[in-house]
Amino acid sequence: MSKQARVRTRELREVQRVAAEQQARRKLIIARVSGVVIVALLVAIGFAAFTAVSGGDETAAPDRVVAPANLTEGGAIPVGEADAPVTVEIFFDYMCPACGAFESANGEELDRLVEDGTVRVELRPISFLDRTSNGTEYSTRTANAIATAVDGAPEQAWAFHRSLYAAQPEEGTDGLDDERIAEIAQEAGVPADVVDRFGDRTYEGWVASVTQEAFDSGVTGTPTVMIDGEEFDGDLFTEGPLAQAIESAAAGQ
Amino acid sequence: MTVHSAVADPRREVGPPLRGIRHHRVTVWVTMLVASVASLVASFVLAVEALRLAENPNADFACDINAVLSCGTVASSWQASVFGFPNAFLGLVTEPVVITIAVAALAGVRFPRWFMLAAQVFYTVGLAFAYWLFHQAMFEIGALCPWCLLITLATTLVFFEMTYVNIRDDNLYLPRRVQSALTSVIRSNLDLVLVVVWILLLVLAVVLRYGEALFA
Repeated sequence: MSKQARVRTRELREVQRVAAEQQARRKLIIARVSGVVIVALLVAIGFAAFTAVSGGDETAAPDRVVAPANLTEGGAIPVGEADAPVTVEIFFDYMCPACGAFESANGEELDRLVEDGTVRVELRPISFLDRTSNGTEYSTRTANAIATAVDGAPEQAWAFHRSLYAAQPEEGTDGLDDERIAEIAQEAGVPADVVDRFGDRTYEGWVASVTQEAFDSGVTGTPTVMIDGEEFDGDLFTEGPLAQAIESAAAGQ
Repeated sequence: MTVHSAVADPRREVGPPLRGIRHHRVTVWVTMLVASVASLVASFVLAVEALRLAENPNADFACDINAVLSCGTVASSWQASVFGFPNAFLGLVTEPVVITIAVAALAGVRFPRWFMLAAQVFYTVGLAFAYWLFHQAMFEIGALCPWCLLITLATTLVFFEMTYVNIRDDNLYLPRRVQSALTSVIRSNLDLVLVVVWILLLVLAVVLRYGEALFA
């Protein structure tokens, strides 16, 4: 090999060495930056999870629980005669579409059975679907409204309850705004001074606590319907079966 | 179809061969195979669920307390059957194709460029659809189902591996400069970093949106 060729080979090697060094440095930078980004993301995930865990505890134990007047001993909203032979307990959320379907299938029949003294309905509004109203907490707002109504105008609670379902918003939307809820209450006969108290949000703590109690008592979904304390497992979304079950329970006594 | 061979292929990129476990062809195709099988299983579960729902509208119709992680709410939404039939049926039809490609490639088959390009195009559409559904479930329906989440994750992985293979093998008919830029991304493992960051962002989004319901 000539001297010239040797020099050229050495130069070539030098160039290759520099290129390799540059590539190695680039790889190191990429590794460091991506390491930092990945660690930061992991920390963010951990932090978000931690916040969620501690946030969850707060909602489980609301600080201020004021229960509305005129509830049953068991803490439900009563509709109809206290000495009716059959009691039907309904767990529901005003945002829950299935509860809306339940109401449109059975509302009339329940109305009739309440009127003729066959059944006493016990309403148990809960608010677990708050997260499906884009942060406006429609479930809590409506549950607070019905609680305020039962406190101030218990006779109108049932009509208000049914009107809320008649105007039920779609799940995943903001829900009805407070003015619309107030209008519905007034149309259902709730007096204006009671409607004005909706905005005080007095019973929101109570709503949160009864929601938690419903979970703890083993309610796993809404609507959950109990006839004299026994869960009704028939068809909830067709007119007929529930009324028949109530009537046969009444006949059996 | 020709047998896998690095020598006989004229479109092979010049430069040192890709080394390391993540570049090994078994790693690449097995990852794609596992992800597409997971997607198929999830699609199957969701399809069965959809049929059950159609048979009996009462089943799963009631609002579950754990609705955040319940398929009932998601399955009864219009987004669950965009084309008039449950979306899961699409997974039942398309995932076996991906599985076949992965198994054939593992067995040494090399597919023509146009074939892989077509696969890439279709899978990109599939990915866009999966993410649109993910977005709808999170922000419109307000519920998340674990099987849908698995499909989102698996679709991401399959897309990642397929894109990786197609860039590595120069299957995408890209301009030379783009091709060589993308090849250097693969060489420096930036693509791997990208997919890890992507998946972590996905996890973060889910925890931020549903953390309270998930952990409380």
